[in-house]
Amino acid sequence: MDFGSFLATPEIKVKVITYRDIFQDKAMIENRFGEEYRNLSAVIKLDPVDLKQLNVKKGDTVILKNSFGRIVVKVDESGYETPHRGVAYMPKSPWSNMLVSDETGGTGIPKFKDISVTITSAKGEKITEIEF
Amino acid sequence: MEKNYHVCTGCSLLCDDIEVEAEKNKINKVHTACRIGVAHMKAGKEEAIFRVDNKPVDEATAISEAAAILKNAKNPMIFGLGASTNEAQKTAIELAKKINATLDDTSSFCLGSLVEALISEKIKTCTLDDVRNKADVIIFWGTDPSDSHPRHLSKYSYFPRGSEKQRGWEEERTAIAIDVRKSHTAKICGNYFFQIPPKGDAEFTDALIAGLSGKLPKTSYNYPPKKILELANILKGAKFGVIFVGRGLIYSLENLEPLFRLMKALNEKANFHLMPMVGNYNTMGFNENLFAETGYVNSVKFENGTVLHGPDYSIVEALKERTVDAALIVGSDPFSILPRSIVKNLLEIPVISIDPYETLTSRNSKVYINTAISGVEAGGSATRMDGKKVSFEPAIETNHPSDETILKKIMEAL
Ligand code: SF4
Repeated sequence: MDFGSFLATPEIKVKVITYRDIFQDKAMIENRFGEEYRNLSAVIKLDPVDLKQLNVKKGDTVILKNSFGRIVVKVDESGYETPHRGVAYMPKSPWSNMLVSDETGGTGIPKFKDISVTITSAKGEKITEIEF
Repeated sequence: MEKNYHVCTGCSLLCDDIEVEAEKNKINKVHTACRIGVAHMKAGKEEAIFRVDNKPVDEATAISEAAAILKNAKNPMIFGLGASTNEAQKTAIELAKKINATLDDTSSFCLGSLVEALISEKIKTCTLDDVRNKADVIIFWGTDPSDSHPRHLSKYSYFPRGSEKQRGWEEERTAIAIDVRKSHTAKICGNYFFQIPPKGDAEFTDALIAGLSGKLPKTSYNYPPKKILELANILKGAKFGVIFVGRGLIYSLENLEPLFRLMKALNEKANFHLMPMVGNYNTMGFNENLFAETGYVNSVKFENGTVLHGPDYSIVEALKERTVDAALIVGSDPFSILPRSIVKNLLEIPVISIDPYETLTSRNSKVYINTAISGVEAGGSATRMDGKKVSFEPAIETNHPSDETILKKIMEAL
């Protein structure tokens, strides 16, 4: 049984896989500070069972947290046929980059594809701004 | 009727069959391009913008402020240039030499290592036209061109009827995707999609090599050996195979050795080529131009006639270690594309941003110069992802200066 379901605010751990999306890239060219780019970028896509465990619905906001950052984004269902609990998908963007480690082992290459976060419901908190 | 075709600089495919309809120097309609290309060709803005400390200034003030920043810096950095013409890149290299700058582009944290292997002829490659005309087995590994290089499959790698592939994808081509996620490209590959776990690429490579020589392919994540053997058999039969490599693969490998091993094994049994899926329209040009000048594709520092090279001179390590004290950033947005845990250090030094777009970097820079979009508003030449040289004229007239012009003016003002 999942321990998370006993906590007041359920929390799960996921690995995040980032990817590029043509609709998001097009929106970025048009206006990277615009609504469309934010809607297509500040989002995490989960397995439906993970959504249920978090007690959130499609379109709600969630908090993603690790030792490098904390952001609020919208949650969505991934739509993949094969179950993928514990693995989440995010379009590559300034939002996903707020969760990437500063460890590089001196190689000059950040671990862009090695992101782990805990997720909880943001209870209506607004999407994080990307401005500094 | 002779048609006037334009080149799209929306990605490194540099499609040269684009038609536009323009009125009063504004592009209203774009034909032939993909979704990205259409947005890119239409992105021209009306007024040129010059800013210092977020206040509008004239061009001369912006240039002299930029020159002053570079003059006062002990260790300036020049970064970007993947979305600049060859001519602008060469000017930037000259400028870097003149001010003893560190010079780097996005390839240092993307596909630079692979491009370097290609330029130094450590791996067999080919052109996109070869792929279109001859390729029978096409592998997309850790890359999703349907989203990143949208016309890749339709123009070159899968759908076209090439001179030696008249029956096209239905009968004569096999497209294979190896990825951690079922991308749009993977969907097109249907049953030839091989989903592997994150960081599983090196093991998959060695299992495939085992399969190629008839051994039982094993992985710690128990990938069905039968499927790997099936894949090995397809690859063995390739008359003209090509692997398109994306960041998904490169980020998962500690070094390029597994890829070298695989290419060697494949070329003992068949005929295989490799091509990195570089993103920006002229990253390849930057890597080639810098290589011609220094013998390195990125991460260099000029020092009184000598060249230092290594990860220490990459943007990531330079920012982490705070070794640079000013940055000139051309056509790139490090504040968006780098981890915030690292790029926050860029806020501590004066930044000059030269970019056709308003970005997080332009908004956080001391000097911002809004330049023309090359291919749309400025002409020049660039290198396609497969090394082919492409020249272009501007599609519309503009009062925005090109980045090449601005770099030259900064150099004169020094
Ligand atoms: S594929 Fe690339 S170069 Fe071709 S039209 Fe689309 S964005 Fe432009």
